[in-house]
Amino acid sequence: MNGPLIVQSDKTLLLEVDHEQADACRRAIAPFAELERAPEHIHTYRLTPLGLWNARAAGHDAEQVVDALVTHSRYPVPHALLVDIAETMDRYGRLKLMKHPVHGLVLESTDRPVLEEILRSKKVQPLVGARIDADTVAVHPSERGQIKQTLLKLGWPAEDLAGYVDGEAHPIELEEDGWTLRPYQRQAVEGFWHGGSGVVVLPCGAGKTLVGAGAMAQAKATTLILVTNTVSARQWKHELVKRTSLTEDEIGEYSGTRKEIRPVTIATYQVLTTKRKGIYPHLELFDSRDWGLVVYDEVHLLPAPVFKFTADLQARRRLGLTATLVREDGRESDVFSLIGPKRFDAPWKEIEAQGYIAPADCVEVRVNLTDHERLAYATAETEEKYRYCATTATKRKVTEALVRKHRGEQTLVIGQYIDQLDELGEHLGAPVIKGETTNAQREKLFESFRQGEISVLVVSKVANFSIDLPEATVAIQVSGTFGSRQEEAQRLGRVLRPKADGHEARFYSVVARDTVDQDFAAHRQRFLAEQGYAYRIVDADALLTGGDAA
Amino acid sequence: MTTSRPEKHTSGPRTERAPAGAPSAAPARTLAEELRGRPDDSLAALLRARPDLLNPVPGDLTQLATRAGTRASVVRALERLDRFTLQVAEALAVAPDPCPYATLDALMGGDAPEDPRIAAELPRAVAALRDQALVWGAEDQLRLVRTVRELLAPSAAHPSPTGLGPSVAEATAGMSPGRVQQIIAAAGLPATHDPVTAVAALTELFEDRARMSALLDTAPAEATAVLGRLVWGPPYGTVTAEPAAHLRWLLDRGLLLPAGPGSVLLPREVALHLRAGRAHRAPEPVAPELAPVTEHSPRVVDATAAGQAFTALTTVEDLLKGWETGGPLVLRAGGLSVRDLKRTAAALDATEQAAAFWTELAYAAGLLASDGEVDERYAPTPAYDEWLLLPAEQRWTRLATAWLAATRTAGPVGGRDAKARTLAALGPDLDRAPAPEVRHRVLALLATLPQGGSVTPETLLGRLRWERPPRGAVTGGAPAGRPGTAGAPPHAPHDDLRSRLALWTLTEAEMLGVTNRGALTDHGRALLGAGGTEGAPWRPAGEAELGAAAVRAAARLAPLLPEPLDHVLLQADLTAVAPGPLRRPLAQTLGVLADIESKGGATVYRFTPGSVRRALDAGRTATDLKTFLTEHSRTPVPQPLSYLIDDVARRHGHLRVGAASSYVRCDDEAMLAEILADRRSAPLRPRRLAPTVLAAQVPPDALLDGLRAMGYAPAAESAEGDVVVTRADAHRTPPRTAPTPVPEGPPVPDPTLLGAAVRAIRAGDMASTAERKPTAAPASGGLPRTTSADTLATVQAAVLTGAAVWIGYVNAEGAASQRVIAPVRVEGGFVTAYDHTADEIRTYPLHRITGVAELVDDTV
Repeated sequence: MNGPLIVQSDKTLLLEVDHEQADACRRAIAPFAELERAPEHIHTYRLTPLGLWNARAAGHDAEQVVDALVTHSRYPVPHALLVDIAETMDRYGRLKLMKHPVHGLVLESTDRPVLEEILRSKKVQPLVGARIDADTVAVHPSERGQIKQTLLKLGWPAEDLAGYVDGEAHPIELEEDGWTLRPYQRQAVEGFWHGGSGVVVLPCGAGKTLVGAGAMAQAKATTLILVTNTVSARQWKHELVKRTSLTEDEIGEYSGTRKEIRPVTIATYQVLTTKRKGIYPHLELFDSRDWGLVVYDEVHLLPAPVFKFTADLQARRRLGLTATLVREDGRESDVFSLIGPKRFDAPWKEIEAQGYIAPADCVEVRVNLTDHERLAYATAETEEKYRYCATTATKRKVTEALVRKHRGEQTLVIGQYIDQLDELGEHLGAPVIKGETTNAQREKLFESFRQGEISVLVVSKVANFSIDLPEATVAIQVSGTFGSRQEEAQRLGRVLRPKADGHEARFYSVVARDTVDQDFAAHRQRFLAEQGYAYRIVDADALLTGGDAA
Repeated sequence: MTTSRPEKHTSGPRTERAPAGAPSAAPARTLAEELRGRPDDSLAALLRARPDLLNPVPGDLTQLATRAGTRASVVRALERLDRFTLQVAEALAVAPDPCPYATLDALMGGDAPEDPRIAAELPRAVAALRDQALVWGAEDQLRLVRTVRELLAPSAAHPSPTGLGPSVAEATAGMSPGRVQQIIAAAGLPATHDPVTAVAALTELFEDRARMSALLDTAPAEATAVLGRLVWGPPYGTVTAEPAAHLRWLLDRGLLLPAGPGSVLLPREVALHLRAGRAHRAPEPVAPELAPVTEHSPRVVDATAAGQAFTALTTVEDLLKGWETGGPLVLRAGGLSVRDLKRTAAALDATEQAAAFWTELAYAAGLLASDGEVDERYAPTPAYDEWLLLPAEQRWTRLATAWLAATRTAGPVGGRDAKARTLAALGPDLDRAPAPEVRHRVLALLATLPQGGSVTPETLLGRLRWERPPRGAVTGGAPAGRPGTAGAPPHAPHDDLRSRLALWTLTEAEMLGVTNRGALTDHGRALLGAGGTEGAPWRPAGEAELGAAAVRAAARLAPLLPEPLDHVLLQADLTAVAPGPLRRPLAQTLGVLADIESKGGATVYRFTPGSVRRALDAGRTATDLKTFLTEHSRTPVPQPLSYLIDDVARRHGHLRVGAASSYVRCDDEAMLAEILADRRSAPLRPRRLAPTVLAAQVPPDALLDGLRAMGYAPAAESAEGDVVVTRADAHRTPPRTAPTPVPEGPPVPDPTLLGAAVRAIRAGDMASTAERKPTAAPASGGLPRTTSADTLATVQAAVLTGAAVWIGYVNAEGAASQRVIAPVRVEGGFVTAYDHTADEIRTYPLHRITGVAELVDDTV
């Protein structure tokens, strides 16, 4: 009765990390509990039905779960909670999606009342076909994803035993010359492959592309890769050519400008979701080849229509990649039910400790607005308030001071508002990359930044994701998409690539004090704070007066 | 006054009771006579078992016997019998009166006894019935009290639980002699003209197993099937005007007798033959065993229950804390509105049923009451504040003992009463008289299991239903004349009150941490007292008894409860984790300073600008708070947290200057200095924030009053707006006592009372039955009459001999009575004597004594 774990009545688990048995405990609960927060001393895990069912799917039973809790718990675990766990886990697998030699896809039940119950649901009725016998009902193959999602919502998750199509075979090998997959990347690939489909969560800069490449090398089949934008698509292509046996010709790009379909095709979400005359003309891409694997990059950004298409792809292996599975729209569970459960998850600080991402110093710079600005802020319209306080001249001055302070270091200035960025670019004498910058221009600028020809780059939110800039060591955030937690994490990710000299990365967030900017910043920082990144707060005044507070 | 017998009469068929001073050993002719022959402790046992007989104390044994035979009292007594004893009584009701023991034995065990336990248990059951004065008479002629027979005997209106019908004699009572003759003839019996003889002959035939078997062997197969359907009851069937051949065959031979137009019945004797003599299909001689027992580790059970006990405490505390300000309104009819209950449930994160339980628990423990003001609200009582100061284990025993003894139950909340009104929590009509007894019994049964053992609720309910069969079984014999009660109403398995109470007890005990995983905990056992003296009827534990049990339970619980901590862990994501329960002051301060995010073994607090502001509102300062956190944190205070506090404090300062009311603002700096310097301002605890601003740490109205008292004329700047400066005072009711349990019926008498009652009855009985010396020649009015000289002489003689005399006495109101007294002295016109009737020393004026007579034989 002196374990490191405390089981709370709201089904959160508190793990004391400094406890001697903390590691054993973490290993024991990781299969079924979701890591919610990982600050310095006490990590919070949560028991969710989804997590418990995923554990069941991975072959763990209720007894193991209960045993893990009871063994490591400091205080007696409420009996009701244990009963609840057992009951929840027991719900999994009563329904099974199977392949029937005659009837195709069928839903089979070992518990007839459950089958009766779900068949009475209005949401299930349109998804199923004829009743085959008392325990079996036919399911339209196209509704495989939909029915899984619906059953999950009804609380009777179906075990999907219908298997996957192999897809069109295509030889893909990793070319590990002078590099190898990192241990956690290997684990992630294995975890994914054994699970069939699922999501891999790795911090920014931890090499998710290689996990994708590893998965492709396992699948050895034609692959569709969905990414956020064209620059990212090019980077994927570049990486794949460099790291695998694939050649340029085997990889196609399907974007606004090019429409190539090759054994490995990289498409952007944007082109897929382009709607013309009420239909999605590029959807046929999904059917254009017999894909053996579909990779979703930055799965937390998956746009709503893609969810729908994905529901129809249940027979293909799906791999989701992300650093921050937090969606402000709360659709995390859709990601899990349609793409697959979380197969691998590594806390940021753990990867940092292994040296694969750079340690980062996060600093919130609080700027005092001038009296004039405060008055203007106070009288601004509500919807204009954030824009106003995020783009004040004082902030600009502070940002400039910060850039000066880090002269000689590769610095990114990231912001939301184009006017502000243009102004900053002008004052700093630095190029600005924004939405209207052509892809060619973008790549050129990124390349010269990588080469060190320019040391300061002002970027808009186009650079939030998947931009590989290993040399950036300082990022200064001047404004953002309100309180988006994942944006904050992604931006930090821009400077987390390990530095050649083990140099520490700096992440500044310039925030106007006593305004909504500060509130949004607090919300934005939550994800990282929960990952163990402790923000320091520095007064801009101290910074400007030359004191080396930063 | 008579001998007292130390041993209890519980076993063996008693052939004869040694009469205590009874004049003869002849068999008793009436119940009263038999009672007279019983020893005192046996009478005491009767009164203990049926306390309603004591209200008021019967004058003598005849009265006692009469009262013991009244319908209400008998129904009550029958309801308290265990199943087997009741079955024996039911069997006696269908047996001849008087009934020899052997006959009863045969009725219970059948012609070929299979279950030796029946024969073994039968004496116990008979003794129990006898103890309760439901059966009397010698062993060879057991007599059921007439009312009992009426209640249990089968009749058309209310069939017996045995499923037996009326006897041949009863069923043929209204039949024409001619018809009887026909039946006799068809059954192959010699003809006789006397219907009584004929019925006797028929009865004899039916009771003769050999002849009857021979008769039935000739029955058509369909007829046998018909008998088979009726044999275990109900023994009634319908026939058409033209019965089929096989029915006719049965009717002809009297194997079925007409019960009314179109209906027939199976006579009792025939049914008994078909049942091989058994009155009950399934006699249940012994209580169902509590098995199978699921064993849990006692250590785990105790520890988990202790955790739950702790949760119970925090839940009650949360509940009452929430009601400190603006508690829910009391409905006009009393109780909590459904909406308030829902809200409470949401606040406690519990089901409504659970919320009702917690509120009722707090109410039963006297921690919660209505405040009795104009718009009546529920609020914590002053006792709640005292309760909060107790150590955790004592707080728990306070709740647990209140729960154990309460007749109020939360179980019916949300249900509807007989008038279809919703039963509200804390409302009226929630008293269920048997609740304390059932709770006690359930726990006592669990206590018989090995430590850590549990049984399924069904098993437990089965046992309880055996010990006290549900009411339906008895009301099958509802008062005659009430129409439409044919057949006991079908009872759903757990529908009777006691079963429901037992189920509630099981869930509530689990919630309270008295049990865990269905097993009684160690502290639960302690709470129960010294093993709940098996067999004795339950009676509510006294204050002292309960107190002692509580102390024992607390002692066992205390080491299991987590030790309160005095530190938390602060983290950079603005949370604080208390890895266990916190010491009270710490928990309170932290509860103000941070929002509680998750509860359980540990508590997770989150600091938000709002929560910090709340702490500042409550009169804390940023420095205060930081010092507080540094002192109580095991980890360094993270920079973002101190920034948060500073930031909020900085802005809070602005707000205070602008809108908070507990400050004094004055352009005249000298005047503020004057206020500060004035000694009278000390209670206001003024603090100078700025040259022109003075803050006080008292509520604004107090500050205003204070300043006015000092001779200033302050003006309140603003009392409205969202800046509420201090927490409002926690609201309390005036002192309230907890609701007292409302037991059903008269209280169970304690031994002293019983002894006194028995003596009083004896004495009264003696007074009314003692034979007197014929010389006294009492007048027809019953009062002895002697001259005053004779009276004086006789009384004086009695003082000398120490004998008791019988007097007639007229009291000041003119009421005459007879008394048996033992005179102690005679002086000044008064007799001081020990009055056997009143059982005390009394003084009688000589002139009020109408006459005196010596007793025939000094029985006193």
